[in-house]
Amino acid sequence: MPSCSTHVGKHSMASNANPACCYRLTAPAAGGPPRSRRGRTGIRWEWFLWPSLLVSLVLLVVPQANFVWLSFHGDLGLGQVSAGLTAENYARILTDPFYLSAFWLTVYLSAMTVGFGLMVGFPAAYALARIGGWTASLLLSLILTTSLITVVVKLMGLNIILGSAGLINRAILALALTSSPIPMLNNEFGVFIGLVQYTLPMMIVLLFGVVQTIPVSLEEAAAILGATRAATYWQVILPNAKAGLLASGLIAFNMSMGAFTSAVLLGGGRVRTVPVLIQQAIIQDTDYGKGAALSTMLVGFVFLINVAVVAVSVESSRKRRWQRAG
Amino acid sequence: MPAERDWNRRLASKSILTAVAVFLLAPFVVVLGASFDTAAEYHVTFPPRGFSLASYQAIPLKYAAATGISLTVAVTVAVTSTLIGFCAALGLVRGRLIGRQVLQSFFRLPVQIPFVVTGAVFLQFYYQLAAMTGVNLLSGLLGLIIAHVFVAVPYSIGAIASVLTRFDPTLEEAAESLGATGWATFREVTFPIVRPGVMAGMFYAFIVSFGDIPVALFLVSGAQTTLPVQIFQDIQFDFRPSMLAVSSLVAVFSLAAILGVQKLAGFDMIVPTRQR
Repeated sequence: MPSCSTHVGKHSMASNANPACCYRLTAPAAGGPPRSRRGRTGIRWEWFLWPSLLVSLVLLVVPQANFVWLSFHGDLGLGQVSAGLTAENYARILTDPFYLSAFWLTVYLSAMTVGFGLMVGFPAAYALARIGGWTASLLLSLILTTSLITVVVKLMGLNIILGSAGLINRAILALALTSSPIPMLNNEFGVFIGLVQYTLPMMIVLLFGVVQTIPVSLEEAAAILGATRAATYWQVILPNAKAGLLASGLIAFNMSMGAFTSAVLLGGGRVRTVPVLIQQAIIQDTDYGKGAALSTMLVGFVFLINVAVVAVSVESSRKRRWQRAG
Repeated sequence: MPAERDWNRRLASKSILTAVAVFLLAPFVVVLGASFDTAAEYHVTFPPRGFSLASYQAIPLKYAAATGISLTVAVTVAVTSTLIGFCAALGLVRGRLIGRQVLQSFFRLPVQIPFVVTGAVFLQFYYQLAAMTGVNLLSGLLGLIIAHVFVAVPYSIGAIASVLTRFDPTLEEAAESLGATGWATFREVTFPIVRPGVMAGMFYAFIVSFGDIPVALFLVSGAQTTLPVQIFQDIQFDFRPSMLAVSSLVAVFSLAAILGVQKLAGFDMIVPTRQR
């Protein structure tokens, strides 16, 4: 089992968005270079960390802390806040059904996106990995390309396809399936499609890496032992891909929870997810306190979900190992 | 009949793959197709009724200006974050560190924060900075560049670190024992090997910056808008067929750039595959 290619395993568990972001810092299992890298030059490589560490500290810690601090102050407009500490921003959000339902809507849309993405993305990634060769390379780079081109282009295309005079509705009307066009834009369905378009390429690329680590010989062994294809799929392939499914599902979930552009352009201002409300609070209402509180809650909430999912999965795998051992 | 069942299973996942590919490519095909329509104002037609370059000729000058700004920002961000990321990756992979895992997670944090939040955070930060020191980063592009560097550095670190980890340090030792100086070793041995990672890191940083809307929406001033923000605002408030033309050009140039980088840096660097 080549451990160096389990790329998508635990290292990227909580990371976001992109394969380049999945650090692969553990040395390859066999034949790889040794860990200690202080050659004859005696360069102290750890000193190279300082510039980036300083930049990160200044750009991450200071503004973020400042922002969280701001969320605990009353708002006076344009970044000016009242002197005393208060939790009124949080109280305003937590007691307002409007904001609570926005949180629910964001979670609901993200969960649907992840569920659908895994259902469709895994078989697609599986087919890609098993086809192999240049067909797979070409398809994979096309799929990846769709996520690298700025998202407005994609959203413009979706507007044309999903609109009331769009491709799908004209087809439906031509077939006389319904008498009036089905609204697929400026509602939750439109945003859902946008989120799937946004997250699916990344999921497929990540899951492709996962399927590649499952040797075909496992499937062949199952077949020799008399397993049907369905049984092999459910009992051999999926269990082996579980960690990867979980990791890419989490990444897609994080992306969806923070998705702004698709929610605005396909929701038409009518689908108010938390990212949309954050932007409105700050740009339109210039209510920094509220915007900061909403942002803090969103980041904290997503972080907690990640921690919970990872904790549960670690716990359940430990239990299973325990049972097997006992 | 196991062979037949096998074929059927492949057929099922292959048809899902085909459907997914069509689903993901359709928006681009539609935009590209509609951009060649014999343009009627405020109206989109796909499939196009005829072939015309009218919407391309009607592209307003503001998109050229926005493209210039986007390119300036993205190139600066790509270079800066690659330099920062290269140092960080060297330290992370080669340094003698306690708590390597913690440091890795720390450097990955910026990607965990939704872009909207990052935009809001930096806007607020710049306001306070201006109030305290009089330095107004919001008046030019510098504020946007700094925020984009913040978001892009993790991608650069990831791409470069993944190559550095596979690097065999005995190559450097060999060069040095043959009498190469430290700088010569870096120039002739280390850098050529790490270059694909550097290219990929630069590429991802560029893409992150060039494609971003949520962060830029907070940090650009009206006169100096990036291309995606300009399109984003025009889709909502002032749609014209010329935007289809602009978007098609963006898509085509992006595709060309991606293919070019794949050629230069290697397919493996862009798409994390293991060629078999």
